[in-house]
Amino acid sequence: MNEATVAEHTHAIPEAIFASHEVRLAGQQWIVAAALIVLAFASMPSMWQEVEKFLPGPDYRTPYALSNDYWLFSRYSRWAASRADTLVIGDSVIWGQYVGKDQTLPHYLNQLAGQDRFVNMGVDGLHPAALAGLIKHYGRPISGRKVIVYCNLLWMSSKRHDLQVEKETPFNHPALVPQFFPRIPCYRAPWSQRVDIVFHQNVPLLGWTDHLRVAYFDQMSIPAWTTKSPYQSVSKTALRGLPPPDDGPHQEPIPWTERGMEKQDFPWVELDSSFQWGSFRKALETLQARGNRVFVVVGPFNEHMLQPASLEAYARLREGVAGWLREHGIAYYMAPALPSKHYADASHPLSEGYAALAKELYADPAFARFDADERGIASPKGGA
Amino acid sequence: MLFHTWIFVLFFLVFYPVHVLLRRTPYMLPWLLLASYVFYAWWNPLYLTLLVYATVVNYYAVVLMEKTGRRKLWLAVSVVVSLGLLGFFKYAGFVTDNLNFLLAHLGTSYRIPAPGILLPVGISFFTFQGMSYTIDYYRRQVPREHSLIRFATYKAFFPQLVAGPVERSTTLLPQLYGVPPITRRDITDGLSMFVVGLFKKAALADYLALYADKVFNAPDQFKAPALLLGIFAFGWQIYFDFSGYTDMARGVAQMMGIRLRLNFNNPYLATDLGDFWRRWHISLSTWFRDYVYIPLGGNRSGQFNTYKNMILTMVISGLWHGAAWTFVIWGALHAAGRVVTRELERAGFYREKVPKLAKQMGVFAFVSFAWIFFRARSLHDAWLIITRIFTSGWADPAFPMLALILVLAVWLYEHLYESQHKWVLTFAPARVSMVVLMAVYLTIFAGSGSQPFIYFQF
Repeated sequence: MNEATVAEHTHAIPEAIFASHEVRLAGQQWIVAAALIVLAFASMPSMWQEVEKFLPGPDYRTPYALSNDYWLFSRYSRWAASRADTLVIGDSVIWGQYVGKDQTLPHYLNQLAGQDRFVNMGVDGLHPAALAGLIKHYGRPISGRKVIVYCNLLWMSSKRHDLQVEKETPFNHPALVPQFFPRIPCYRAPWSQRVDIVFHQNVPLLGWTDHLRVAYFDQMSIPAWTTKSPYQSVSKTALRGLPPPDDGPHQEPIPWTERGMEKQDFPWVELDSSFQWGSFRKALETLQARGNRVFVVVGPFNEHMLQPASLEAYARLREGVAGWLREHGIAYYMAPALPSKHYADASHPLSEGYAALAKELYADPAFARFDADERGIASPKGGA
Repeated sequence: MLFHTWIFVLFFLVFYPVHVLLRRTPYMLPWLLLASYVFYAWWNPLYLTLLVYATVVNYYAVVLMEKTGRRKLWLAVSVVVSLGLLGFFKYAGFVTDNLNFLLAHLGTSYRIPAPGILLPVGISFFTFQGMSYTIDYYRRQVPREHSLIRFATYKAFFPQLVAGPVERSTTLLPQLYGVPPITRRDITDGLSMFVVGLFKKAALADYLALYADKVFNAPDQFKAPALLLGIFAFGWQIYFDFSGYTDMARGVAQMMGIRLRLNFNNPYLATDLGDFWRRWHISLSTWFRDYVYIPLGGNRSGQFNTYKNMILTMVISGLWHGAAWTFVIWGALHAAGRVVTRELERAGFYREKVPKLAKQMGVFAFVSFAWIFFRARSLHDAWLIITRIFTSGWADPAFPMLALILVLAVWLYEHLYESQHKWVLTFAPARVSMVVLMAVYLTIFAGSGSQPFIYFQF
């Protein structure tokens, strides 16, 4: 085919109609449009903070239904970093699954301190891999603050909890775990979804749109929500304000023995090969790298629930954790087991349990040194 | 790989700068071919072998036509292999089902095992594109392509590989010669088309799909208003879905300096069925016109044969869309519609006295009715929907107002675009505002899930 034929054929292509729905911009118009889009995207999340009232009071904890609203967590972190001395981060044990907001560990610590210095930043289902992601992507506002990190060994109680099973298994907070490396064998989300998550982790605007979905539209996209609720107003719903915090317990506060739970034989994973333990260490490293003063509270696990063999493995795991923290100069407290009746399940204490834990923790010399450390001044490495 | 995903954005960000750098070198085509194969293999790398096989067969059939002079033989080989692949992968299940149905009626207990083949994405599109080359060569309309790489790139060109527009050897292949010029206008126009296509797909089609799927997946649960709105929602969904894809495809290609055919031109403003098919999936309609309707005799042998050829072409087109009787009926309905509206247009009263808007409404109503067969899961469901429209009575359809407003806005836009007031839409601030609003809407409102395109299954 010669060049003349090429030109002839190329020019034969109809040019009259540009496209079915023509919205054609020239170069300069694209520049104006891009500038307006960037301006809108940059200003919307901060403008929204003016519209959406968020005034966490004493003993505030994130509403349970908003556990995966990471944009709100970031906003709460900013608020907490500017008001409180010490932030307590962890899973539902810190949040207080079986207790009211005034029966949690941070509440009792505040009571012992005689002032509101500890903030409850617990998030339901926050296993160590998710904790590491939450701190990395949404925890920047707490840089340089004093942080108590709760280590729940339940997340190492089996290969499934440790996210090491090969079979695809659903788990909490998939949007917080590493999407590509290290590989999580039970996580099988398609690549496109993982890339989407990476963008949402790194672009605040996308985090804000997730917030709207989670906080106002029943975790759905707005089209899906309007299809479910066709006659409700999108704007009215979005302007109704955040859901109130959960003041009461999320589940009935009764001891585990009354729930019909039996002793169990947990197949604990080895610490050296544990993905969750590796993730927990990574979370601590991130905090330290950001100048946080870190204190780790390990346990208290419901040892009464363990069969003798399982108890032995658990003790080894605890020793290993303590050894690593000691070795790396990180202040910690290994909480001894509480009385059996103070547990609601394998790891969640009841109100009396939290009170006892707070009392013991507050009396611990390492904690006292950590607590007495000057507010806001952090050493690059925590020391026991 | 779907256009409206971050994966594609990353793919394009890697592909495009290299393409621009290589486009003045002999490596441009190999790079474009490699990118196209990666794009295709993203779904299932195994099916890439199929695409390569079909490419090699089409290419060497033409080589042998030239070398041996036995043009008819090698054309037949090429067409049989192409249609054979399409038939095996697309229609084996349909044929088996029908044969088993026949065997059951004959009282035999033997059943042919179901083939259980997964339909390779885009097979119908690249098969037709390959056939276009061999047939055009046979008709002496194009010269033989000497480069296998260039021909393979023509057949696998990633923007339009899986859902069209179905390109011709006479239009796309020549553009792969030399250095495709990329002007600033190509980039801005390509971007404009891509954004509009993205909006149509992610904001409109996927939204309407929520309602249409609900209704068509359980038609016995809905009453007349919801069924009617479900049909209406699907009609607009498929339009936005498919035209959105082709807008994005054309946009991506134009950013590479390559022009793809216009595939949609406000089809729901058509005033007769012939007009509809000149506006809907134009590249396929013209393919069927040139390679099926005209070879059958077209309109050269009187009224009866014209209609016979028209009906045959539309039924084949229906079957091309899907291996099910519902698609055959859909094609037959369109054939009937074309015959009727063609006859009506011959009558002076209809042609001159019936208002344009009434004709448009009539065509839209008819096309929507035909969509019932296209979308229904079975003939039984299609019939159930039709009967329930007349017998089930009234109930609140619970159709999302926001979706209704969006569709109405597009419909008004189309009317304005085809009216004498089109200048309003060319007003620069209006266009800039539209792009900004689309971007904001896509970010805040559109769902985060990536639904595949409807036409991938064809």
